[in-house]
Amino acid sequence: MSASYILKRIALIFYTLFIVSILVFGITQILPADAAVMMLGENATDEALEALRQQMGLNDPIWAQYLHWATGVVQGDFGTSLRTGQPVGPALFSALGTSLTLAVLALAVMLVLAIPMGILAAVRRGRAADLVVGFVSYIGVSLPEFVTATLAVVVVADIWGLLPPAGYVPLAEDFWGGLQRLILPVSVASIMMIAHVSRMVRSELVDVMHTDYIRAARLKGLTPRRVLIRHGLRNALLPTITIVALDVGYLLGGIIVVEEIFSIPGIGRALMSAIQSRDLPVIQAGVMIMAATYSIVNFAADLMYAWLDKRIQYD
Amino acid sequence: MPFNRRAFLGTSVAVAALATVLPRVAMAQATPEAGGVLRVAIDQAVSVIHPLLTRVNPEYMTAELLYSGLTRLGRDMQAEPDLATEWQANDDLTVWTFKLRPGVTFHDGAACTAADVVATFQAILNPDFASPARNNVGPIDTIEAVDDTTVRFTLKTAYADFPVALSYNNARIIQASVVEGSFESLRTSANGTGPFKLVSYEPDRLVVVEKNPDFYDPARPYLDRVELHVFPDLGAQVSSLLAGDIDMIATLGPNDFMRLDGQDGIDVLRSASGQFCNVNFGTDIAPFNDARVRRALALTIDRDAMVDFMTEGLGTKGNDTPLNGSYPFFKQIPQREQNIAEAKKLLAEAGLADGFEAELIASDRPAIRTQLAVALREMAKEAGITINVTTMPHATYLDQVWKKGAFYVGFYNMQPTPDGIMKLLFTSDAAWNETRWNNTAFDALIAQARSTIDPAKRTELYTEAQTLMNDEVPAIIPAFFDVLGAKRAWMQGYDIHPRASVFRLDFAWLDAAAPTKG
Amino acid sequence: MTDFLRRLLRSPQGALGCLIVGLILVAVVFGSYLTPYGPEDMQPLARYKDPSAAHWLGTDQYGRDILSRLLDGARSTVVMAVAATVIGTLGGAILGTGSAYLGGRADEFIMRTNDAVMAIPSLLMALMVVSLLGSNSANALLAIAIAFMPSMARISRSVALTVRKQDYVSAAIARGEGAAYIVLREMLPNVIAPIVVEMTIRVSFAVMLFATLSFLGLGAQPPATDWGLMVSEARQYLHRSYWILMWPSAAIALTAIGFNLLGDGLRDALNPRT
Repeated sequence: MSASYILKRIALIFYTLFIVSILVFGITQILPADAAVMMLGENATDEALEALRQQMGLNDPIWAQYLHWATGVVQGDFGTSLRTGQPVGPALFSALGTSLTLAVLALAVMLVLAIPMGILAAVRRGRAADLVVGFVSYIGVSLPEFVTATLAVVVVADIWGLLPPAGYVPLAEDFWGGLQRLILPVSVASIMMIAHVSRMVRSELVDVMHTDYIRAARLKGLTPRRVLIRHGLRNALLPTITIVALDVGYLLGGIIVVEEIFSIPGIGRALMSAIQSRDLPVIQAGVMIMAATYSIVNFAADLMYAWLDKRIQYD
Repeated sequence: MPFNRRAFLGTSVAVAALATVLPRVAMAQATPEAGGVLRVAIDQAVSVIHPLLTRVNPEYMTAELLYSGLTRLGRDMQAEPDLATEWQANDDLTVWTFKLRPGVTFHDGAACTAADVVATFQAILNPDFASPARNNVGPIDTIEAVDDTTVRFTLKTAYADFPVALSYNNARIIQASVVEGSFESLRTSANGTGPFKLVSYEPDRLVVVEKNPDFYDPARPYLDRVELHVFPDLGAQVSSLLAGDIDMIATLGPNDFMRLDGQDGIDVLRSASGQFCNVNFGTDIAPFNDARVRRALALTIDRDAMVDFMTEGLGTKGNDTPLNGSYPFFKQIPQREQNIAEAKKLLAEAGLADGFEAELIASDRPAIRTQLAVALREMAKEAGITINVTTMPHATYLDQVWKKGAFYVGFYNMQPTPDGIMKLLFTSDAAWNETRWNNTAFDALIAQARSTIDPAKRTELYTEAQTLMNDEVPAIIPAFFDVLGAKRAWMQGYDIHPRASVFRLDFAWLDAAAPTKG
Repeated sequence: MTDFLRRLLRSPQGALGCLIVGLILVAVVFGSYLTPYGPEDMQPLARYKDPSAAHWLGTDQYGRDILSRLLDGARSTVVMAVAATVIGTLGGAILGTGSAYLGGRADEFIMRTNDAVMAIPSLLMALMVVSLLGSNSANALLAIAIAFMPSMARISRSVALTVRKQDYVSAAIARGEGAAYIVLREMLPNVIAPIVVEMTIRVSFAVMLFATLSFLGLGAQPPATDWGLMVSEARQYLHRSYWILMWPSAAIALTAIGFNLLGDGLRDALNPRT
């Protein structure tokens, strides 16, 4: 893993953002809505609309609009929201902070639960523990987040009265109150990933344990525990890194639903209301920010993969 | 005649003044106590806080907390004093003089004078600013400051409802210097004369306002602070009210209303209203350019079932006119009921004996539009009419269908006056002429009514207009919705307003049981 | 083949999965002929009814028979999910396997561009595609297929790369076989096993993605009988009658579990090492 590899990998992040920027700009340009109408509302006169179109450059050729927008983005200027008339950047970055709190917690909960569950199920394959883990993961992947969230709110908040049903308080403002309000959203956001990742860990591990390589290790007379940890887990967890990194994309999507139901003002909800109200600059910026987040996570995952892969090869 | 008019106007001012001192809800209960933080659940983001540009109810609520108008709307739909304490019209109702409350200041300490009022209305009338108030404050020709505390409006035509029209949600007084300087600055900051001052503003999460100690009424507001919490999910706001996390829900659906009704410590709030969903016809597009076809479709509707489907019984039957008993000057005309045989006969007369197929477009917000469309689709089947329902995002609907389409679902708040709703939607010069009905006889009736003072005569004119509409059916109005809300019992001095966009939270207060008290 | 089926049915997951998916397929094929009532027939006097002899699963907010709606909706719900998955998987598998075969700069370019597209979360991608094309079921199908493609491409590629290093591929290359032959006859079949497993699991994801799109107002539209739409519509009537929510949720859950079990069964049956 040389410096040039890392540099190349960083260049790829920029390539990713370039491709995404073209995609998202293209899509928002074709969306059936007139930015000027969105901004001035139903009461605007035709002259006022035309003047605004001129001023916003909506009559320019599309490549000129893209260049103008991309230049702004590179300089950190994401434009002005058509809905609120406020600059897009600051609002979205504060929303991103909220979403990251949610996502990081969900990811942590998932890792802490899913990997041990997967290992347990693989080691006890076919026995009670495997069936229980299997059952849990089947239930986990069987309902969409908006249903689990609805049921969670009804049972945990409405009937049992254990936790607040919705709302968001920044942790910095009121740590315990904020944390209480995060428990349900974090649980809902992580369920699907727990199910998916534990299943993956299990099947990877089962596979690895059946390879010649492991058989050879056994034949060498290593203890089962040593075979499992030194040889089995390392090989099995390697693809899991890719799976988890892929799931971050899923998590970012799931956050849209979770934020909507639990009234959390994160980037998912900002994007959702932007899509509903055709607030084009917010859609563009939101997708760019999500893509950047995903790219950086995958960059980290790739580095980790390369690092572990090397160690395995020379083991 | 002048004597009568003065007496008429004088009475309404006196009634209004009484209501100001002793609001109805507070009268029945204990004396208001000061203090506490009121936490309100709103169901949409507060995207705009510029008082001249707000467009939806949560935004109106925010603007109402921060700004004052010349008049404000009572629950009886009469104009009450706000910044104006009294008003008078000339004999033919074309020149109106408003006396302003002396000594009122903006939140930044500057005095609010007649010059600010004049500048505000000039901004409202300026098409460049595209204020929704422009179409709703009446036919203002000119406005002038007579002295520091007197303004005079000269109207293009006589307008009896002018003081009520001035209570419109967007007609809120801003500083002259803002109008001349940075009009847009009020999108992110606020400087009004209202009962509360802006503390913080996050469009998608929370708006916080605090008591304005210099409000013109030294007794009000009673609350120290008001927080507006945005809940995009309707179930979440109900759960939060039950959990005691919030004190009041501004707007509630019928099912949530039934869920909260009878719960301990919770008061549900309900008011009959003129709020409705309508099925609009592009009356210039075949087959809907034939009044018989429109009437046939109206005859397929089982209106009792429709009230049930759309409002769970928390509403009233509509008669294909936008007026009902919640409006002044209303008289019931014969109720249209389901009559499939008659509908088929009308279709046959129109040359559509085999029925026809049409695409009905409903935007996805609020969901009740789709509910109406789906129910209508089933009912129309009986008369051989095949309706295909198409739903689309609201923004796409506004862009592609609204005011242009042949057959689509609308949704409207009650307006303060019959004139208000007719001029908004149905006259040829309506701000949003959705149906392009353009009926000159109807226009003449509305124009005559707006310059008539005698209530009996006005009622007669509006009844005639109703009959004409009911006959021609430019739009089907199958049901009216009651306006619904809920609050914790510890919140007092608040009742829901039939207009749905008026809140009057400066009268609200919290008793000792409220968790945010003390 | 019979050997494979026997292996599939011998594992509990495989047997149960086959049973559930089989039942669902029956509903898909015959469901709309078995409905006791018209799925859109409204009965103003029989709204929010609990299950009874007349309405086995009760009625919804318009007094429509829930059993009839579920049976009617099986076709669109399941067929759409399977179709979206198959299209997305095929596209992704071809892209990924092809890229792995090409290797070098072409592989680099294809996969990096693919990764770039994958940086947009699939739900968000689907949301954008649907907003662009308009909200209806057909567009949602396309949106989900597109949203699935990049990640399927990446998975197939990584599997294909492992396969490519195997001896029989090297042997084929050494024999001087053509590119198409190697990809189609040697690499793809060995890539298929893991992909089929991923695919069956993806069907349940697709069912849920459809439901989520409907919840966000961008999937199927009323009065359609898609299960996801039924659930999302039922949310607001939960406190009147929870049956309206429970039945379609259960149907979705059963479908998802069925396809997951089948996926696991297939995986074991296809895996010769076990």
